[in-house]
Formats: sequence, C-alpha cells, structure tokens
Amino acid sequence: MAPTKKISLSEEELVSALKRQDTVAIKALYDMYSGALLGVISRIILQTEVAEDLLQETFLKIWNSAGSYDSSKGRLFTWMMNIARNLSIDKLRSKDFKNANKNQDIENNVDFIDEQKKINFNADVLGLKDLVTGLKPDFKDVLDMVYFKGYTHVETAEELNLPLGTVKTRVRMAILELRKKFN
Amino acid sequence: MEEVKAYIESGILELYVLGQLSAPECDEVEAMAAKHPEVRTEITAIELAMEAYALENAITPSAKLGDKILKEISGEEIISDPRIIPLYQDANYSKIKALRLALVACVALLAICAAALFSVYTQLNTANEQIASLSTSNDQFARTVNKLEFDKAGMENRIAMTETDEWMTVKLAGVANSPKAKMLVYWNKNNKSILINHSAMELPKTDKTHEYQLWALVNGKPVSLGVFGENAKEAVQQMVTIEKAQAFAVTIEPVGGSVNPTMEKMVVMGEVAI
Repeated sequence: MAPTKKISLSEEELVSALKRQDTVAIKALYDMYSGALLGVISRIILQTEVAEDLLQETFLKIWNSAGSYDSSKGRLFTWMMNIARNLSIDKLRSKDFKNANKNQDIENNVDFIDEQKKINFNADVLGLKDLVTGLKPDFKDVLDMVYFKGYTHVETAEELNLPLGTVKTRVRMAILELRKKFN
Repeated sequence: MEEVKAYIESGILELYVLGQLSAPECDEVEAMAAKHPEVRTEITAIELAMEAYALENAITPSAKLGDKILKEISGEEIISDPRIIPLYQDANYSKIKALRLALVACVALLAICAAALFSVYTQLNTANEQIASLSTSNDQFARTVNKLEFDKAGMENRIAMTETDEWMTVKLAGVANSPKAKMLVYWNKNNKSILINHSAMELPKTDKTHEYQLWALVNGKPVSLGVFGENAKEAVQQMVTIEKAQAFAVTIEPVGGSVNPTMEKMVVMGEVAI
C-alpha cells in the first residue's frame, strides 16, 4: 500500500463497503481503528509481536465474517472490538501460547505469572493507567480483569471472591466513569 | 419503567457490550433493546464510551502491518496492478444521488403546491359562501327598502287625504264571509275620480287566477270601477271615475274582471255618507 491519504468513512459507508467486500472498507477500518484494536489486544497479550499477529487475524476475521455483522445489534466498533478480544483471549488460553511462555526463562515466567495475577501493564500500555486510576480501586480491579485481562465476569467473581451481582455493578460503575470522561 | 431502570442498572448491558454474555443472554438483551428505546440508548452510550476509550488508548501498529493485512485480504494483485479502486463501485452513484435529491425536492415541492392549492380552494369556498350570504342580505335589504317606500307613499297619501276637504273617504267594512277585511276608497268631490290606497287595505288573499274588482252601486245597480291585484307596484291607484254612487264594494273575480259582480264573493262593502 503506497503511502496514501488516510481514509475515513462514515459508519454506514464502512458497513456497506464491508458487506459488499470492497477492500476500501478494510483500508478505512485499518486507518481508523487499527491503533484502537491493537490497544485492546495489547492489554490481553503483552508481547508486541503476538499482538500484531492477532491484529492481522482480527482484520481477516472482520473481512471474512462481515456478513454476520448486524448493525441493529450494535456499533461496528463494538463488533470488531469483541472479535479482537475473543481472538486474544483464545490465544491467551491456548496450549501453545502457554507452552511458549513456559519455555521462556524463569525470570520472564515469573513476570508473566505476576502480570496475569496482579493487574500490571505492558510497558507499551503504561499510558493507559491514567484512565482508570481515577476510579475507586474496587471498580478499577473489576474493569481491569473483565476488560483488560480477558476474564469472564464469572471468573472475575470467583477470583475476587465477590458475588456475581457485585461484579456486574462494579463493571457498570467503572464504565459510567469512563462515560463521564468521553461522552 | 422501574423494571427497565433496574435492568439497565444491573450492569448486564455493560457485559453485553464487552461480549461477556452467552448467546441466550445476548438474545434477551437484544429483545429488551428492541422493546425499550432507553435500553438501546444506554447500549449505544456504553459502546461510544468504550470506543472513545479504545481510540484514546490506541497503539500504532508497525508500519508494514497494514500492507501485510491488505495483501492477505486481496491477494498479490494489489502490488502487481496498483489500480485505483473507486470509492463507490457504481460510477453513477453520485448521479443517482443527485437524481434522488432532485426527486425528493420535487416531491416536497409537489406537497407544498398541493397544500397551497388546498388552502386557496378552501379560501375560495369561504369567499363564495360570503358572497352568497351578502347577496341574500342585499336582496332582503332591497325588499325592505321597496316595502318601506311603498308604505311611505301610501302613508303620505293617507295623510294628504285627511288634510284636504277635496276628497271624501269611504270606509268599506268586511261582510259575513270576511269579517276582518277592510279598505278605504277616496272619492274626489270635484272631478269625481276614485283612488284606492294599497297600504290602507286588508283583504282576503286571492289565488293566481283571481283578483279584486271594485264596484260602485248606482241606484241599486253595480258599475265596475276596475280591477286591482294583491301586489300593486304603486301604493296609490286611480280607478274609474264615477259621478254618482250610494255605496262601494269589492268582489273577488277571475283575472280581468267580470261584467256582473259575483255577490257571494263580495269581501268588503261601504255606504257613502251624505
């Protein structure tokens, strides 16, 4: 792809181009959202190289399953974000990924476990911290696990030893804080 | 509505946006969103927040990644044949768009014209009704004026008759079959001419084929003094001159009058006072 102007299309145009398999849709989506999606992936998968592979996989899946996107159920970005998150979580839980991590030397492995257990951030994503540090720690932990770490809310409840309803409420409170900042 | 509020506050919508729900749970949320607009609005707000949040925390991928992905998707052809891919596959898209716009404008114009025409039509109807009602009242007014002028002429005549000695007034009163009828006959003492005044008479109605006939009784014989109708144009009407008479009477006769009076159709009669 020659260094051309960045393409930006409206959501409607994007969806219709994607549905008729016009590559302009992928160009535009890449220009508009590759960074945001890589940000989402990088929170779950810390290794930059693996994260970028997952970003590629994400775009392939967006392209190949465009037909299954239903705009009446939600925004395009939400759909794409969940594809990216699901691929990342699958990767995180896959045997070969775990093995690859096990094969690393012990120091890295400890780091990795640490990262998975506590809520630490990839150096690349350190800037993100600010956005949630304003939250009450209770809310922040829950959002970290559900959104950043790829835990299901059921797993989060077990991990934090909280009732399921409390986890749900805390996710809501955390996102309400984000809405105050962005909406 | 409390139920919807509680539903929103349960946090299920956040989990829905985060892709944390099972398929049946997703179906439930989608059914709620379809049923309650506020649920749909809430979902969109959450989506926009997460979207803004993700965009805020974007990490730019390596420079080559975009090319790699596009290659993967569209094959090698993009490199070997870097043709321009039109933004819209249909070359006529912009033309169609313009035409569609024109069509919309035409429809809008048509709607405005129809509305204007309807409004004008309504106003025209109103105006027509007003004209009709004005013309009716104008007719009534004209009739009233005519009647007033007729009465005024009659009244002036009656006043003139009472103020002069030249005229003798003969009062004709109703007879057995028309007791309420009455009428005045004016007889000039000098030239013996006879006048009747339409505003000074009350006679039974006639039909279209009959009218009134005035008679003078001269030495016991009836002499016709002429006919007169119910609706006279002038209030005062001159009849046939008679030199001598002992009495006057009015009968109802076929139009044009009769040679001899139909006695049973006599309505008023009055003797001349000497």
